[in-house]
Amino acid sequence: MILPVEVMVGAVRGGTSILYAALGETVSERAGVINLGTEGCMLVGALTGYAVTASTGNPWVGVLAGAVAGGLLALVHAILVLSRGANQLATGLVVLFLGLGLTSLFGAAYVGRSINAFKPVGIPGLSSIPGVGDVLFNHDPLTYLSYLAGPAVWWLLYRSRPGLILRAAGERQEVLAAYGHSPLRVRYLAVVAGGALAGIGGAQLSTAYANAWFENMTQGRGFIAVALVIFAAWHPIRAVWGAYLFGAALALSPALQARGYGFNQFALDAIPYVVTIGVLVFLGRRRAHAAPEGLRKVFEMSGT
Amino acid sequence: MNLDAARLARGAGRLALAYAAALVLFGAFVVTKGANPIQMYGDMWRSTVLNGTSIGQVLVKASPLILAGLAVAVPAKAGLVNVGGEGQVIMGAVAAGGVALALDGTLPGGVMVVVMMLAAATAGGLWAGLAAVLRLTVRVNEAITTLLLNYVAIDLLLYLIYQPWKDKFGSGQPATRALAVAARLPLIGTSKVHAGFVIAVVATAVIFALLRWTSWGFRLRVVGGNAEAARRAGLPVSALLISAMVVGGALAGLGGMVHFAGAEFKLRPGMTLNFGYIAFLAAWLARHDPLKVAGAAVLLALIAIGGDSLQLDSGLPAAAVNVLMGLVLVAVMGRGQTTRRSPKVAGIPAVAS
Repeated sequence: MILPVEVMVGAVRGGTSILYAALGETVSERAGVINLGTEGCMLVGALTGYAVTASTGNPWVGVLAGAVAGGLLALVHAILVLSRGANQLATGLVVLFLGLGLTSLFGAAYVGRSINAFKPVGIPGLSSIPGVGDVLFNHDPLTYLSYLAGPAVWWLLYRSRPGLILRAAGERQEVLAAYGHSPLRVRYLAVVAGGALAGIGGAQLSTAYANAWFENMTQGRGFIAVALVIFAAWHPIRAVWGAYLFGAALALSPALQARGYGFNQFALDAIPYVVTIGVLVFLGRRRAHAAPEGLRKVFEMSGT
Repeated sequence: MNLDAARLARGAGRLALAYAAALVLFGAFVVTKGANPIQMYGDMWRSTVLNGTSIGQVLVKASPLILAGLAVAVPAKAGLVNVGGEGQVIMGAVAAGGVALALDGTLPGGVMVVVMMLAAATAGGLWAGLAAVLRLTVRVNEAITTLLLNYVAIDLLLYLIYQPWKDKFGSGQPATRALAVAARLPLIGTSKVHAGFVIAVVATAVIFALLRWTSWGFRLRVVGGNAEAARRAGLPVSALLISAMVVGGALAGLGGMVHFAGAEFKLRPGMTLNFGYIAFLAAWLARHDPLKVAGAAVLLALIAIGGDSLQLDSGLPAAAVNVLMGLVLVAVMGRGQTTRRSPKVAGIPAVAS
């Protein structure tokens, strides 16, 4: 396989779990709540997805369970932030540690177990197109589903009435309240939905990408997702591209090493983070304006 | 009975209830894994609080946590959110480790310790200062940049110990060669606690004094309260914000050095054990009061050391103790507040110029 194709295949393969999590975080942040615990939601999604797949033999049931688990953990975040007035950033980290702890407590039994995982399914016809077929049409079903997830979230946020209400909760909750909606309920739903999407991302990681469970297997992907949302200026389609960019950077070092280039993997691993900071530096001002009004209080983006 | 006393009592009651709820809930989780929670807590208690060596371990673990917690608290006074403790701790450890490799054997041990401390504080301060500069020049939020810089720091550490700094005569593990015994932090008296704990305690006292009794501390609080008003009052807001972040980063860097020269002696993958994030929570738990930050750091260190007992006595994974830590934090942060901040009056600046 030539290098660009291999990297792009890797971008899609490695980017999909981040894509789901980043879309979830977009939904949550659009409603005005940042969840640094996305990493924890992905972890519980990964373990629950793996465990339920192991016991039912059906990875679809596993993914569904992973979504529920991610949503439940996000609910903890929502309760603390929305009903108890706790700081969003700190609570997110609490949720992360809860996820880390719960998955190591309940996950030990699943280390080294094999499951009936998702298998790559070539799309007839399309998968045999040179290059493109390998990049796009030779993946597991959750990856195909992810192609629809980005546009679906975009449509939901920008073209549907619930999306308008959700964005209003993040921008001007007084207006929303004046129209007789409950901003609180909308935010709860958004945070939980965001956690559920992160849970799906985690489940994709364990049941379709790695086909294994091990402690702390998300390795910072949830944090990448949070960073991506800002990189993407809270726009779902840009978040999708960002997820693939991260996937590509992750795929680049093994691909180069396989070709005998003596690249140190970790120098390359740092690239996505440096790129994100670079993008923020160049687009910082514009991006800051794109932030939902409700988030500015958290980030204190006004002033200074 | 006066109202303040009643409110204090109610607050303490709620706090106790919160801790109890966390303990009960974690006990319930443990039951589902087939362990006996009463015996487990007994083991944890015996192996931490009632055990001299374990108290030593707790203080050793608490030392970098205290420093990294102060690293969150100082910027917070100026209204900055430093989520980058982890990266700053790593940069401190890397700087100390680099100095140790470069100057090994050329300096007396005591001088070496001081040089390592200076290098670590500088590295941590620069790493955090970068985020402050980006905030002031291109208005990128520091919570985001510090978080991202954590991962850059981790990758830098891994890069160094997998290639250029790897011990060629070691066991093949990715790690640097061990710090010379003379350059290690000395132990306090006959205990197992190294001098890093003294550094952490002194730092806590110094930061407490600086924040409370110096004009720098006062100005930081003014900036944190209302940056615009501070600017109109003629305060050098940018310099203050950068100084708060740099001081914070330097403290975290020092934490990394303390952990390296007091407990680890080698740079290795995963050596920081999430110190930065745990310290962030300690700082929030303590509402950024330096003395309480130190207390919260000791408490979280105690829970973490309890995790080792969890593994040895109950056969549960050590990381499972993160559940207990998470539950304690959920309970404490989610409990009802008895003290309220003074309400902000919309549109009216707190300080006129």
